[in-house]
Formats: sequence, C-alpha cells, structure tokens
Amino acid sequence: MNWFGLTVGIATLFIIGLGFIWVIRGERYFGYLWWPYVMGVGVSCVIGSLFISNHWGSVLLGALGASLLWGSTELKEQAVRGELGWYPFWEKKILPPFADVIKKWKAPSL
Amino acid sequence: MEINWLGLASAAATFFGVWLGHVSVRKIEREVTRIWIPATLTLFFGIGLELASFRTSNLILSTICGILGVTLLWDALELAVRQPKRIKHGHAPANPHNPRHVQILETHPNATTIDWLDRDPRGVPYSSAELTSMKERSA
Repeated sequence: MNWFGLTVGIATLFIIGLGFIWVIRGERYFGYLWWPYVMGVGVSCVIGSLFISNHWGSVLLGALGASLLWGSTELKEQAVRGELGWYPFWEKKILPPFADVIKKWKAPSL
Repeated sequence: MEINWLGLASAAATFFGVWLGHVSVRKIEREVTRIWIPATLTLFFGIGLELASFRTSNLILSTICGILGVTLLWDALELAVRQPKRIKHGHAPANPHNPRHVQILETHPNATTIDWLDRDPRGVPYSSAELTSMKERSA
C-alpha cells in the first residue's frame, strides 16, 4: 500500500480550502487588481517546486502554486460577489503598484 | 541539480482538478435532472482514483491519482449539495429548461435565471434598488 497519494490529496484539499479563505479576505481588503502579482507568485512556486529535492516540499509547493494561480483567476468574480452584497464590502482597499495599468488589462476568469 | 517533477505533477493535477470541478459541476448540475446519478458516478470515480494511488509504487502517478481523486470526491459533494444550494440562494443561475430547477424557481424566492457574476467589477457596491431593477429587467 502506497499512502503517499492519499496523504498528498488530503494536504492539497487543505491548500485548496485555504485558497477559498485568502481569495475572500484578500479581495475584501486588497481588491482584485492584485491578480497579476498573485499569478506571478503562483508561477514562481510551481517553478520553485522543480528544484526542491524533498518530495513533500516539492509536492506542497507545487499544489500551493496551482492554488495561487487558480485564486488569481477567482479574484474578479469575488470582487463582483462583494459588490452584490454576498460578502462584506470594504471600501478602503489597498491597491497594488501600477493599479491604473492593471485596470486596463482583462482580468482572467475561468 | 536534479529536477524534481513531483511538484509540477502536483501543480498540474491541482489546477486541472480544480478547473474541471469548477466548470463541470456548474455545467452538469445545470443540465441534469436526476443529479444523484452524476454525483454517485463522481464519488465512485474519486474512490477508484484513490485506490489506484494506493496500488501504484510510482510517486508521480500516486500524486496525480491522489489529488484528482480527492478533488473528485469534493466535486461529488458540490454536485449533490453545494451547487443546488447556490441555485436556491440565487448565487448561480437556474436553468428554466431543467424540471428540477423549475421546481426550485417556484419554491425559492431568491432563485433566479440571472447570472449575477457575468459582469466586471465596478468598484462600488450595488444598492438594493439597483439589484431589484436588474432582476426586474431580466424577468
């Protein structure tokens, strides 16, 4: 019996679950315009996971990177949910550097 | 330095699992009348993948099966419980051509055919008057 896959699966589910929390909280206080930065961190995590020799470290960093990548595509919809009143709306959002430029880009949504 | 492909395998399985779950749950729940059928199939498929992850000694295969299996088990829950709840609350659009959704539309006042999320953020919250008018316009 190889328990590696199941334990990795459960750990990944936990990371995905954390993704729900940071997307909701992060969008509330920082806004959806942070998506390119979140995406960049996600890609960096996935690339970084290639260079970690420890199996668990590599797997968890890869899953975290994928979760960040996914979360970056969820921020736009979460912003709309906040505006619709489904989640608390925080007016004084901390905008990212180059927010005016990012505003012109189409935010990804899958 | 040797490349460890496990991280990439776990990243790909996680992203694909979440994406597949996200898109297919919405699509299947919208179209299927007897939702217990795809929910049960998803449950068994998830269990099958977990069993496969037990049986293989290949770590990459075990990782992919383990992650996809767990996400499918979660998708079964989404199909059977969480997505229908969103339809009832009006947080996902009901399908007027699906008899199960028609029943939800008749019995849950918040249920709607509007896809509220199909818009860009505008930076300010919608007032209740705006939401009511948007709902009336689409009716």
